[in-house]
Amino acid sequence: MAALSAATAIVAIVVPFAAGLSLLGTVPVGLLAYRNRLRVLIAGTIAGSLIAFLVAGTGGTMTVVQCAYIGAVAGLVKRRNRGTPTVIVVGLCAGLANAAASVGALIVLSRLRNLIFESMTANVMGLARVLSHVPYMRPASGYLKDGFPRLLTYWPWWIGGSLLLGVLVVTLIGWWALSRVLTRLSNVAGVQKLDMLPDTGVIAPLPVRLDDVTFRYPRSDHDALGPVTLSVEPGEHVAITGVNGAGKTTLMLVLAGQPPTSGTVERPAGVGLGKVGGTAVIMQHPESQVLGTRVADDVVWGLPPGQSTDVRRLLEEVGLDGLAERDTGGLSGGELQRLAVAAALAREPSLLIADEVTSMVDQPGRAALLRLLAGLRERHQMALVHITHYNNEADSAERIVNLTGNGTSDNTQMVEPAAAPTPTPPVDTGSAPAVIEVDRLGHVYASGTPWATTALRDISFDVHEGDGLLIHGGNGSGKSTLAWVMSGLTVPTTGSCLLDGRPVSDQVGAVAMSFQAARLQLMRSRVDREVASAAGFSPHETSRVVAALTTVGLDASLASRRIDQLSGGQMRRVVLAGLLARSPRALILDEPLAGVDAASQRGLVRLLEDLRRRTGLTVVVISHDFAGLEDLCPRTLHLQDGVVRPAPAIAGGAA
Amino acid sequence: MSAPARRPVVLLRPVPGTSTIHELWAGTKLIVVFGISVLLTFYPGWVPIGLVAALVLTAVWMARIPRGALPSVPRWLWVLLAIGGITAAMGGGPPDVHIGSVVAGLGGLLNFLRITSLSIVLLGLGAMVSWTTNVAEVAPAVATLGRPLRRLRVPIDEWAVVLGLALRAFPMLIDEFRILYAARRLRPREVAPTRRARLRRSRVEMIDMVTAAITVALRRADEMGDAIAARGGTGQISAAPSRPRWPDAIALAIVVAGSAGAIASEQLLGWTIF
Repeated sequence: MAALSAATAIVAIVVPFAAGLSLLGTVPVGLLAYRNRLRVLIAGTIAGSLIAFLVAGTGGTMTVVQCAYIGAVAGLVKRRNRGTPTVIVVGLCAGLANAAASVGALIVLSRLRNLIFESMTANVMGLARVLSHVPYMRPASGYLKDGFPRLLTYWPWWIGGSLLLGVLVVTLIGWWALSRVLTRLSNVAGVQKLDMLPDTGVIAPLPVRLDDVTFRYPRSDHDALGPVTLSVEPGEHVAITGVNGAGKTTLMLVLAGQPPTSGTVERPAGVGLGKVGGTAVIMQHPESQVLGTRVADDVVWGLPPGQSTDVRRLLEEVGLDGLAERDTGGLSGGELQRLAVAAALAREPSLLIADEVTSMVDQPGRAALLRLLAGLRERHQMALVHITHYNNEADSAERIVNLTGNGTSDNTQMVEPAAAPTPTPPVDTGSAPAVIEVDRLGHVYASGTPWATTALRDISFDVHEGDGLLIHGGNGSGKSTLAWVMSGLTVPTTGSCLLDGRPVSDQVGAVAMSFQAARLQLMRSRVDREVASAAGFSPHETSRVVAALTTVGLDASLASRRIDQLSGGQMRRVVLAGLLARSPRALILDEPLAGVDAASQRGLVRLLEDLRRRTGLTVVVISHDFAGLEDLCPRTLHLQDGVVRPAPAIAGGAA
Repeated sequence: MSAPARRPVVLLRPVPGTSTIHELWAGTKLIVVFGISVLLTFYPGWVPIGLVAALVLTAVWMARIPRGALPSVPRWLWVLLAIGGITAAMGGGPPDVHIGSVVAGLGGLLNFLRITSLSIVLLGLGAMVSWTTNVAEVAPAVATLGRPLRRLRVPIDEWAVVLGLALRAFPMLIDEFRILYAARRLRPREVAPTRRARLRRSRVEMIDMVTAAITVALRRADEMGDAIAARGGTGQISAAPSRPRWPDAIALAIVVAGSAGAIASEQLLGWTIF
């Protein structure tokens, strides 16, 4: 299954890659061929070419098929551990086959061939005619006029030959890039956790008893969980709490059927993950666990063929009635999570595990989701295990289990910056000069097309030197668009956004921006190279790298660490180190606290507060939460449906 | 903002609203587009091109596709077309047109126009599918269309699942690439002293970008793998799979009749009119 989804994701990147950088479109396919079976490769190629067909017609399909063909050659050679000479030989053979096939096709498609050749002839003859009027170019014109028709008579040779050469060159480039990418990827740890387990036939996950259970991931030197002793009875509501790194998610894996490293797990029969009457799991990321493109399709996704489901009733129960035909892409995080609950309920599970389901959901969505979870057991015969790091979410449970963990928390590598004396008094932002001036700003996506959507309307405000501004709003309020406009990445359709009096879109990079997904912003392989590249100095200037890391409270020893070995909180700080080293005019942070545990959140906010106070940094935070940001951002702007609203009741945020 | 905004290419999202064309079974549209692509590959004459163009325009009218759905054509494409057209026109060739004492050979221009309109018609055909089909319908339609292949032990259901998931992941990954690209734009341009160093740097940067993109995609894949495992593997992919109905039969009949006419005209007229 993992292979299948890998195929999927790879396909989805091949399509745009094939269009833009067709030479590198072979790399993802090569990776697929290297890691997986041929069957996966074929499934991926078929799906990819169909999508390309939908997007760009037959031409797109041909490009994807070519990429897949060449990528597969490179990947398979790599898999057999052969070197460049093999690639050349195989590439030649592949090129020969390709050339033969293309020439054969052109022989059969005589009309198309004639049309193409005549059209080419006309263009060349026209060019020759133009050239014949240009002094000194007359001989060249003559060559063209005589030579081209003669060339055409030998078309199988030169078309075949150039295809052969082309395939060989692209294979070699693909091979080169694939080798580089593979060495880089070998350090990336997979995040796949759940495994499909062979079915035992009978399904009865409860009651389950864990006795002194520990769990250690392969290639790890410490236990991620335990030892834990715990039991879950049918129909029970258990909350599991604990800090990051305490093993909450690992415990979920064990409950969902992973065999523990030591200790015993007793249950009457198989866990039946995802099976009717078995175990259902709802996970943290709302977007990635929804598999159907339409709401109704997602509810039944994966059910055994032939089983009929009352989709309408299920959607009603989770409060999504009437949305059955909607695209899942347009749902908010909270709605997606409730949809995941509906998909779980379609399986009438005896055990439902909710793993940090609210951490990526905004405040109103969180409340609705918790209400739904708490009410489930009134209508269904099931036990609910709710894993959370919010204490107040655990309150409705009958029993709370607190995992203490074994001291491998996120923050062991982080040092808080020393509290330096404040050289400048807190800046009085009212009288300070304006850095960013937003004037009657509006933005429409896909303007002029039938898909036009208004994201922002008539927004005006100023951000002053040393200001701390929170832009607050729910899903779809336009706050992210505003962030993109303020950093100059998006040119607004109406109004203006000025930085120091000039349009910010002419000064991309002057305003720093930290995106919600920190990983996407880290492009180099190692921390020091990343910081140097983002800040614009040479990675050899160790002292500047260390200084930049110190600014954000990271230890200098982290400089040689690989990016993919960092925790979420550390990644965010590395991004900040790179951004701050350029002394930006302002710093925009998009959801800086999402997906970071409470302790790291506090550390990050304290760091930013300190920076703002000490260096007069202008900070703009975009968030759907207020919690803990009052001191960092004394000023708040509320966005709703793309317009600025007066402050809503604070109760909504604190609930 | 004095210049009119350029209209972006919107992929895989149907034009809002509904019509007979919107309601056709996705499988029918796939068959039609595939069939016509094959027809035009074998018979790229004026009559087939004209008939298909008429078909596309009728479909556009029936589906009430506004002109705004067309993306803006970049200027370089116009320039390229103009250069191609001018050189082809200069190429001359039969038929000759006599305007007073001047003889102009239109053959080159006509060939150029034919190959250009062929490409436009094929693109338009694909765009019609993209404009009128909800992507959620594509994978179930492929599964239905491919059912006969199951007897040949072709894993058609697996393909349909991959296709469906890829279409679902597509917008999410596009979004992530957008952020990746934006993050790159925000970075300072690195200046390299020599040409060689510049080349080296751009190579390194390319690998970095590809790695970042693949890392992102693999992470998505892992999460998706978890989600599939949590559902107990693959199975149903659609709550209410749509079936072909009588409008589909009519649409297919029209297309078959048109194609037959086009082929007949090609055979009678020889391989080109001019």
